Amino acid sequence: MQEHRALNSILAPGGITPMYQPICAVDGTLPPQLAGFECLSRGPIGTNFEAANVLFDYVRLKREESLVDRACVSAALTRAPRQENIRLSVNVHASTLGRDRDFVPFFIAAADNNDIPLNRLTIEIVEHAPPWDNVSFLTALAKLRENGVKIALDDVGLGQSNFKMMIDVCPDYLKIDRYFIERCDTDPNRRAVIEALRSLASRFGAQLVAEGVSTAEMVETLRSLGVSLMQGYLFAKPLTAEDAARYAVASDQRAARPIMSPLDITV
Amino acid sequence: MSQQQTTAEPERILIVDDEDLIVGAMRRYFQGLGYVVDSAYELEEAQALLANYQYDLVIADLRLTGIGGVEGLQIVADVHQKCVDTRVILLSAFGTPEIERESYNRGADAFLHKPKAMMEIAQVAKSLLEQ
Repeated sequence: MQEHRALNSILAPGGITPMYQPICAVDGTLPPQLAGFECLSRGPIGTNFEAANVLFDYVRLKREESLVDRACVSAALTRAPRQENIRLSVNVHASTLGRDRDFVPFFIAAADNNDIPLNRLTIEIVEHAPPWDNVSFLTALAKLRENGVKIALDDVGLGQSNFKMMIDVCPDYLKIDRYFIERCDTDPNRRAVIEALRSLASRFGAQLVAEGVSTAEMVETLRSLGVSLMQGYLFAKPLTAEDAARYAVASDQRAARPIMSPLDITV
Repeated sequence: MSQQQTTAEPERILIVDDEDLIVGAMRRYFQGLGYVVDSAYELEEAQALLANYQYDLVIADLRLTGIGGVEGLQIVADVHQKCVDTRVILLSAFGTPEIERESYNRGADAFLHKPKAMMEIAQVAKSLLEQ
C-alpha cells in the first residue's frame, strides 16, 4: 500500500525545494530594479511533484493545503536572500488562513527564527476554494497586517480570485495572472482588463504586479497602462536559493542592475 | 518494436497502481516499447497528473486503497471529463461481473483480470491506441 507515501515524501525534510523569482520595478528611467522575490516551491526531486502545478493540485485534492503551506513557508524563509531592502512573497492558500488557526503564530515564529522582519514579507493568497471559515480567514489577515505583513491576491482575474475576495482582503498588491499579460501588447481586450484592474487597484490603494512578462513589448505596454512591478522570464526564471542570493547582492551592489537578467531593458 | 517508428511524437501513458513492483515493471516494459510513461500510486496523484498533462492511454488498477476500493472507476470518469479520446484500461484482481459491467458503462475501454502477462496488456494497449 502506497497511501500517503507521496504526502510523506513532500513533507519530509528536504521534500520542498524553494525557488525565488525576482519581482522587478520598471520605472522607465532606470534599468529594472529588484523589488523582491516571489518564493515558489517544487516538490521532491525526481517525482511527479517536482512540477508545482501537479504538487499543488495533489495537495488540494488531499485537502492538505495547510500542512504543505507550512512546509513551503519554512523552506522558503530558511533559504531566502537576506538583503534588508528586498521583499519576500510567499504563497498561502486562503483555506489555510481560514482553517488553520495556528498558522499566523507559526508564520510569525518562522520569520523570527530566520531573522526576517515581518514588514519585509508579503503573503500571496492563492485561492482555489472558498476559505473554510470566513471569520477565521479575516481574523488571520488582520493579525498578519497588525504585524506589518503585506497581503497580495494571486492570479487576479482567474477562478476564485474574484471581486468578493478583493473586497474581503483589501489587498496591498494585485497580481495579474499571466493569461492577461501574454499578448497584452497586441490584444486590446487584455489591455482593457488590465486598465480595469488598474482602476480597481487605485481605488483599493493597491499596487499591480504583472506575472509572466516575457518580452520588451509587454513591458512597454504594461508601463503605458501604469503597471510598474513585473516578474517573468524576461527578468529571470525562478532561481535557486544560491542564485537568488547572488542576484540580490549584484542588484544591491550595482545600483540594482541585475547581472543575471537575460535581457537588459532600456525603456 | 517502437511506437516512435509510426508516430511523430511518442504516445504518453499513465500507469496507476499502488504496488511498487507492478508500477516499476509496467513502466520499464512500456518505456521499452517507446512510450512516454508517467506513474502514480494514489487516486489524487493520478488526478493531479490528469489535470496537467494529456495522455493517450491510462492503465489503472481498479483498487488503490485496499479492501473495497474502486478508485479506478473515478479515474475513468476523470479521464473522460478531460478528454474523450484518452483510452482507459482497468486492471483488477477482484473484478466481479458487476464491476466489469460498471467499468464499461463508465467508459473504460478494456477491463483485464489480474494476473495478466505484460505482453497481453501491451497488445490491448496497442490495439486501443491504433483505433
